[in-house]
Amino acid sequence: MAGIGFEIRKILKKNTLLSVFEAYGYAGLIGSGPWLLSIIALMLIGILSLGIVLPKVLIIQFLTLVTYMMAASLILTGGLQLLLTRFIADLLFTKDDGQILPNLLGAQLVTTIAALLVGLAVWPLLPLPVVTKLIILGAFVGLCNQWLGAIFLSGMKEYRLILVTMLSGYSFMVLLAYLLRDWQLDGLFFAFFAGEALLFFSFLFMIIRRYPGDKLISFDFLNNKKVYYSLFFCGLFYNIGVWADKIIFWYSPSTSIEIIGTLRASPIYDLPIFLAYLSIIPGMAVFLVRMETDFVEEYDRFYTAIREGASLNEIYLLKDNMIQTAQGGLYDIFKIQGITVACLLLWGEQILTFIGIDPNYKTLLFIDVVGVGVQVIFLSILNILFYLDKRFTVLVLAAIFLVVNVVFTYLSVALGPQFYGYGFAFATVISSVVGLFWLSKQFEDLEYETFMLQ
Amino acid sequence: MAEKNADILLLLEGTYPYVRGGVSSWVHQIIEGLPHYNFELVFLGGAPEHYGEIQYQLPNNVTKLHVHYLIENNTTEIKAKHGTKYKQELFDFWQQLQSYFRDCNDPIPTELLKFAFETLGKKDGINAADFLYSESSWQVLSKYYLSYCDESSFIDFFWSYRNLYQPLFKIAEIARGLPKVKLIHSISTGYAGILGSGASVISDTPFLLTEHGIYTKERKIDLIQASWIKDSEQSLGKNLNTEMGFIRRMWINFFEQIGRTTYQQATKIISLYDGNKQRQIKDGAEPAKTLVVPNGIKTVRFKKALLQRPEKTPMVVGLIGRVVPIKDIKTFIRAIKEAQSIIPTLEGWIIGPFEEDPKYYQECQLLVDSLDLIDNVKFLGMQNIAEILPKLGVVALTSISEAQPLVLLEAMAAGVPVLATDVGSCREIIEGATAQDKTFGKAGEVVAIASPSETAQQIINILQNEQRWREYQKSGLERVQKFYDESHMFARYDKLYKDTMAWPE
Repeated sequence: MAGIGFEIRKILKKNTLLSVFEAYGYAGLIGSGPWLLSIIALMLIGILSLGIVLPKVLIIQFLTLVTYMMAASLILTGGLQLLLTRFIADLLFTKDDGQILPNLLGAQLVTTIAALLVGLAVWPLLPLPVVTKLIILGAFVGLCNQWLGAIFLSGMKEYRLILVTMLSGYSFMVLLAYLLRDWQLDGLFFAFFAGEALLFFSFLFMIIRRYPGDKLISFDFLNNKKVYYSLFFCGLFYNIGVWADKIIFWYSPSTSIEIIGTLRASPIYDLPIFLAYLSIIPGMAVFLVRMETDFVEEYDRFYTAIREGASLNEIYLLKDNMIQTAQGGLYDIFKIQGITVACLLLWGEQILTFIGIDPNYKTLLFIDVVGVGVQVIFLSILNILFYLDKRFTVLVLAAIFLVVNVVFTYLSVALGPQFYGYGFAFATVISSVVGLFWLSKQFEDLEYETFMLQ
Repeated sequence: MAEKNADILLLLEGTYPYVRGGVSSWVHQIIEGLPHYNFELVFLGGAPEHYGEIQYQLPNNVTKLHVHYLIENNTTEIKAKHGTKYKQELFDFWQQLQSYFRDCNDPIPTELLKFAFETLGKKDGINAADFLYSESSWQVLSKYYLSYCDESSFIDFFWSYRNLYQPLFKIAEIARGLPKVKLIHSISTGYAGILGSGASVISDTPFLLTEHGIYTKERKIDLIQASWIKDSEQSLGKNLNTEMGFIRRMWINFFEQIGRTTYQQATKIISLYDGNKQRQIKDGAEPAKTLVVPNGIKTVRFKKALLQRPEKTPMVVGLIGRVVPIKDIKTFIRAIKEAQSIIPTLEGWIIGPFEEDPKYYQECQLLVDSLDLIDNVKFLGMQNIAEILPKLGVVALTSISEAQPLVLLEAMAAGVPVLATDVGSCREIIEGATAQDKTFGKAGEVVAIASPSETAQQIINILQNEQRWREYQKSGLERVQKFYDESHMFARYDKLYKDTMAWPE
């Protein structure tokens, strides 16, 4: 996301009250943009199809399948996304721009093959017509590739264009779903497939225009001398960690029902956590503004000072500034998520009733809201650690998050409904606290490590 | 013991047998001149790529040559343990050691030096990895910086600190690996000197030091001119009391301390002439330990040249030396111009290579041109000295810096009066060093540096007064035979070696 800070800074320079809203709104949109837009699009598709796609269970089947595709694609590509992000950053640093496109195409070839293999493995488990399954497979491949394409965009500064492209892509998807809804499940999946494919090709078009390659395809991103494999596992563990509690709820008999074949969903768990994720938009906005703008600025100042011959006292001072910015950022996220939680605690019941959801979900919703809020903090900690190039620490934290989430979600399922959601919340809290302690230790040793261990 | 150990271990930094030059010739001369001793050589170099093939045929009494490089980038990948408690006592000692390098007024105490050479670079001592990567090392380093160096660039300090101290680890390792001998003899202070000091202390072997130039002074000049050290603005502006940047000072102090400690550990400190001896005493050498042993030449080599001298003195002034600014060739050329007004046929020959500084060579030629001396001043390049000396009327040296120029001795041995600036041991050579020496009379004239007219005046005085010329020739011949024949030098070193090796196995 490097680069976005400058855009936001520009808006803030206008120095009006409105510009603050504009900046944070913009940051919120970009920070949570891709998945926010996709969720809204899918909700719209669901609503538009009501009464047309019959029986109603088909819509649920569609949404469940899409959720599975999201989960699978993120877990499948999460590691590669991190690996590639760093690889591209290094290429840009060494001004090897020509290498970017060939490696993207190489990564997409690998991803496509992996996605096809996963699709074929799941193939016999889905009791659907071959045509439907083909469309779903296509959509899955498209989705995976779209994630990979999206990470390249962060290097480009044209956020408005990217946002408009995404908006158009999802609008197209909704429109197509509306037009094709008479084709039932096939129509919805085809719209989803076409929307993802459109997005992917738009991204690819932007990337090709921006970074013309010097050859067609390259697999340098797999060369262990040029990339950090630890990043792959960071991404993998984190993404499995994020989905672990959901998957456990899907597959625990007491909390789930069968949707299609072996694919199950958890009506009791899925909706509250889904709503909770909507609550992190303000937190993500703060994360972007504080971390990508203020922290990065202090971080640059710190390392520039070292390079340009500052005295050790100056270096200490700049480090303190950097730590304070990190603290301030984390504190702001904490505050804004705290306010969100407070609001939901006050009005959660009314909101649930308004949307037409059983108010008994209330407690689960509250704890989920806390969990996802802390997840933003966790994400910020990981982000800072990435800046400090502490890949090993991130790897361990991601692994802790994964393990704690699995163990405690199991425990919460076993303990009964009043404990649902605590497993996930516990995982985010534990890993954030460990992360904070570790981060603090690493800040303490920063000069020592910067100088002595380079 | 299967292999017989050598008697004397020579410690050579960046010279013999890899690099040609005055010091290397001297080392070769000493080894050949004292065949009843066996020598083992330790060559210390910077980085391996700076040295080529061996330049000398090693004499038969050299038993072995050890070659070590101080800058080698294969620091064994031992992971340093974290934590400030790790090897804490050792790092306390390290801090103490390093404080002597920072503040170089007192030499490193023998006990501390011994401990350093027994500890540094050892796996369970402070090894290079501990020094480079450990947290304890960082503590010492940052404390040093914060206490003594407030405003300079930390990153420059950091790298200087590392580059300064890292060779010590290697040197301590080398010292522990040296063979047992009867005497260690270092031909300079510097890294070879500290190696000798440490090796002498840990093995309880006597240690001699011979300095041709003054290492610390030469290093200081290098460092004052070094452009790779960035001075912060403070040190150039307001903070004039420090005169130079902290980092430059840090390097200089380091070498000053090495010199001081070497002087302290050496049994005898030998210089080539009195000027350098005084300098050593000023730099911390105990006067009782110092002595002067001038270099000697093989005077018989010039017998033939003396016999070949023509009856009539040629009106030719010869300058034997490289064409470089330190020899101040321009003053020589101007002196020829002035002297020419009295002796119109006077010629000036510049005998020596001119490839070293092409720009200076060109400037000299331009000067010859503009003074209209094309027919009188000649650049002859490298020549056989013994063959050319009979063709000269006087040998002149206009250098602004010299140690003990052998060309003056060679000229005297070939019966040519000499003329030189008052630098290094030139006055001692020309006028005599001791009272006894002075009774021989003058072998020529001494002039001030950079003064063409005085030089011209003395050229005229020597060349136009036949009787004086004869006197100078006679004094020169006598002095060189009596004091500067290599046999004297060999005898003195033989005695020095014998006396110092007072503790046979």
